[in-house]
Parts: sequence; C-alpha cells; structure tokens
Amino acid sequence: MIRFILADLRRFSGGALAVVILIALSVALSVAVTLQERAVRLGSARAAEKFDLLVGAPGSETQLALSSVFLQPAPLPLLSGQVLARLADDSRVAMAAPIGFGDSSFGHPIVGTTTALVATLSPTLTEGAVFSHLGEAVAGADVPLSVGAEVKPMHGSVETGGETHTEVTYRVTGRMAPTGTAWDRAILVPIRAVWSLHGMGGEHEEDHEHHGEEDHAEEHEHGHVDADAPLDEHFNAETPGIPAILVKPKTIADAYRLRQEYRSETTLAVFPAEVLTRLYGTLGDARSLLLAIAIGTQGIVIAAILLVAIMHIGSRRRQIGALRALGAPLRAVVTIVWGELFLLFVAGIALGGALGLAVAELVSARMTAATAVRLPVEFARDDWRLAAGFVIAAALVSLVPAISALRLSPAAALRS
Amino acid sequence: MLSLDITGLEMRFPGLASPVLSIDRFHLPAGARLAVTGASGSGKSTLVNAITGLERVGHGAILWGGQNITRFSGSQRDAFRARHIGLVMQDFHLFPGLSAFENVVLPVRLARRLSAAEADRARLLLDMTGIARPQQKIETLSRGEMQRVAVARALLSKPGVIVADEPTASLDRSAGEEVAELLVRLSREEGATLIVVTHDPALSERLDRRIRLAGGIIIEDSGEAQAA
Repeated sequence: MIRFILADLRRFSGGALAVVILIALSVALSVAVTLQERAVRLGSARAAEKFDLLVGAPGSETQLALSSVFLQPAPLPLLSGQVLARLADDSRVAMAAPIGFGDSSFGHPIVGTTTALVATLSPTLTEGAVFSHLGEAVAGADVPLSVGAEVKPMHGSVETGGETHTEVTYRVTGRMAPTGTAWDRAILVPIRAVWSLHGMGGEHEEDHEHHGEEDHAEEHEHGHVDADAPLDEHFNAETPGIPAILVKPKTIADAYRLRQEYRSETTLAVFPAEVLTRLYGTLGDARSLLLAIAIGTQGIVIAAILLVAIMHIGSRRRQIGALRALGAPLRAVVTIVWGELFLLFVAGIALGGALGLAVAELVSARMTAATAVRLPVEFARDDWRLAAGFVIAAALVSLVPAISALRLSPAAALRS
Repeated sequence: MLSLDITGLEMRFPGLASPVLSIDRFHLPAGARLAVTGASGSGKSTLVNAITGLERVGHGAILWGGQNITRFSGSQRDAFRARHIGLVMQDFHLFPGLSAFENVVLPVRLARRLSAAEADRARLLLDMTGIARPQQKIETLSRGEMQRVAVARALLSKPGVIVADEPTASLDRSAGEEVAELLVRLSREEGATLIVVTHDPALSERLDRRIRLAGGIIIEDSGEAQAA
C-alpha cells in the first residue's frame, strides 16, 4: 500500500512538491509569528529582570522604561540629584544607581553610572576590573573593545549629528559577563565623568535643566574631566541632575512602597516589568492579528489544495476504476487517496514548522545583533496542541477527495 | 473453473427506449472458451460489465457456477470478482513506478497481506508469460510485454474465469498473437473458463465458441449452430 502511494506520488512529484511547499509556507507563517512573539516577550522580560524599580523625572513611563532597559536613545527630562541622594540613604533600598545616558561611541551607548550597577549587572567581570578613576570604563560583553582600548565619547550619536567630546578619553579597564540585555552593547563609565564632561559640576546644575538635544548645541558648555581623579559615589543635595535612577528595593513590600512614594509632582517611579506587560498587550493584539491572517491564509491554501486534489481525482478516474475492477477493495482505494494527500500535508506541516523555526531564529539573531537583547526562540506546550490541530485538520481535509473517489462507479470510471 | 448461466438479462440506460443488452437465455459450460464479437455499440462492454459485476443488473440473473451475482451487493460483487474473475483489459491498466512483479501482486496487496505462496506463484506466472526480469519497472516494457504482465496479474488468484476485453486491440500483430496464444494456453493449463471480447479474427478463431452481438442481442452463436 505505502509503496503504491509513494510510487504514485513520485509519478506526480512536481505537483506533490508544489502542494508541500504551499502548505509549508502557510504553516511557516503561523509558526514564525507564534515563535517570534514569544521570543520578543521572553527576551524583553528577561532583559528587564534586573531593573526592579526605575525613578525618573515626570514624563512618559514607557519612555523611561525603554530608555533604561533597552538604552533606547531619547531625550529624558532630568531628575534632581537630591532624589538620588535620598534614595541612596533610604533603609528600604539595597542599591540605587544613577543612569546617565546621552553619549555614544561607534554606535555603542556610553552610560554614566556607579560601580554598584556594574556589580548588579555582572557580579563578576569576565576580564579586568571595574573603573576606579573618572577616565576609566567597563565594556559590555558585546562591545568590540579589548581591555586597555581607548574610547572617545561622542555627544548624542552619529545619526543625530553629534560631536566628539575632546576633553576626555576613557580607557577600558574591564568587561562584563554577557547579560542577554541591551546593556551588553553599552560602555559603562563613572557618572561623575559624564557630569563633568557636560559641565554639570554640581554648582552649574541650574544651567542644565534639560538633558535634551536642543540645549546641547555647538556652544554648549564643556567641563574639564580629570581622568585620574578617584571615584566619589556619595551623593548629596549638590548632586547634579540625572535622567534615571535604578533602584533595588530590599523587599517586594518596599518596592511597592517606594513606587508609591516616588510617584509625585517631581518624580516618576515605574516597574519596568509592568510597563512591558502593558506593551505585551499591544504585542499580543498584533500577534492575534498576524495569526488570524496566517490562519486565513491556511484556509485559502486548504481550499486551493482541495480544488487541486478533486481535479486530480477527476483525472485519475480511470486508474481508480481499474484498481477496483482488478479487485482492490473500496477501503484500499479510499486509503490510497486519503493517504496520498495526508502524507503531503504532514510533509508540508513538518517542513513548515522547520521553516518557521528557521525564520524566527534568523529574525531573533538579527534583532540580537542590533540590540544585544537575546530573544530566545523556543517551543511551548501549546505549540504541540497547535501542531496536533494541524495534523487532525489535515486528516479531515484529506477525507474530502477520498469520499469523492468513493462515489465513483468502477464501470463508469473505466468507460470515461 | 466456473460455468456461466444468464437468464432474462436486460440492461437499460436512462433515456434510451430499447435495452442496450437483452439476453433471454445463455449457457457456457465450465472450462469453455468463448469469443464475443460485434460492432461497437452492440452491447459487448455492457455484457462484460454485467458478467464481471462491475455494473448492477436491474433485470435477470447471472449465475457463475450456480451463484447468482445479481443478488449481491456492490462490495460482495467486488469481492466475488477479486476472488473468481481474472480481468484483462485493452489498456492494460498497469501502474507506472511499480515493477512487473509489484503490478502482478498489487490487487492482492491492496486487499490483504501477500502470502509467500502467492509471491512464488506471481514469479512463476511471470516466468510462464515470458517476462525475463520481474523487477523491471513496468513503464520500460514493450506493449506486448505489458499485456503479458496483465495476463499474469489476472491469473494470480487462480480465478475460475478469465474475462479479457479486447486484449489484443492495442497491440501489433505479432505481440497480439503472442498474447492470444498465451490466454488460450494458460486458461487451459490453469483450468479457467475464458471469455474474450474481441474483433480480432485471429484471436476469435482460436476459441471453441463464438457469439456475435448486435443491438444488444445475440444474433449468432456457433455453439447453438453446432447444437442445432
């Protein structure tokens, strides 16, 4: 039986291949959509894991989360340095670190922060040591700079027409372990170096209400950075403004209390995970839409295949009639017709699954290369239900031409 | 070996006033060799379809060795045909992609498991029909060889009767003669009744009895002429 089916399929190998490819492409579409959406969701959730609570100046919650977690360049309003000082001394806070962005080097964001944040992201460095002077830097795992290399910061980025700061050249002293987050692409430097570089030495603070692009035109004030000065990670009321503060509360209860406390006229506190959950809602809607389109496509493909299959049965009336005339029982004929189409479906579904997986892996790899956020492509239990659903649908759809073959009278089939 | 008895057979097609086949009484003894001739449209194909159970019969009785197949359901007729009737058709109806051997055993394999004895018999039959390489793909054989494979296939289940519908019509003269000779010889050796529909005089000459159909009626019967 199976030999006959295979011989028959070989005979129509061109058409069979076309049918398999058609099915594979439509299945690949839904597999890729499902896997990719999950990859983005899991990947960004993991990227946000280390960012418990973010405090910034009032503005967009989403922008605060995206800028801090994914280092998406965007002008953020500055938060008073006093807030950092207050948080650093708060007994409910395990760690509070400033996040000062705005500069970059060859597309890699340069983030001003403290050694505490480096320790949070990468408890042990893969190479070298954490910065201990203002002119030193720690590179993320994906930054193509070796320990000892020099980094010239550029204000803004090449795309936004930034200018190179000439006042300081950072020297890379260490490299973080891979974190699977956007921070793998970042270069971390002491926050005080960033402040000095932008002329924000505490007393100049009032001049720089905003850290946006517009007030950093060519004439903007450049301070002097003493590259050999030691670190000072104590903050007080004189501390200059910063775009965001990462806070690690001691307990979950503390986290909620802190968030409540810092949602005020002058500060904004967000759980990045919460912001992302809201974004996933939108992402989920987009996935539902894409999946609906994919399933609609499958419907069209199934209809097209049924049309081809029934026409094919029509052109094979004589063969089917002959099989029955020669004594093949009806069930054998039905099994052959059903089996041939079902086999093509199963081959198409398997190929489509592999193709969808490959596409998702490719897209994830490209997105990881661009953002450093690892997007894990993985199957979930639900996927097997979906696959089983596909196979059952294929088994049922394959019955249609089999039933049309059933209705053929052998004598009439032979005569035609 | 089966005898054939037809009584009161009448086959009509919807929309046609006169029956396409009408046989009041016909008897063919077991082991006889019969040629059915007649112009196209004379009812030959309808006769083949009726006696092989391919088509349902409205009126009359067709008895093979005493079993009335007109009382059978469609699947019973299929089963009876598979068990007792070896069919040889004008267009061979062999299946490309399979070897000669696989074609011979295909109807059995589609119905059940092929036994070792049946596989041996298939090889023996291919040898008897002069197919040298049973594993050769069917589409690479000559037309004469193809029809000989079809004859071997018809004989596999040791049928009591062989029905051949224009077995030589699509063959050249020498291939046709080989197939004709083979049918007559093997039906005798295998002890099967042979009914051949043909307009090939060389083939009908080889058979013991000839009937001629016209307008669905037997207008000439060499058996009756002898009996008369």
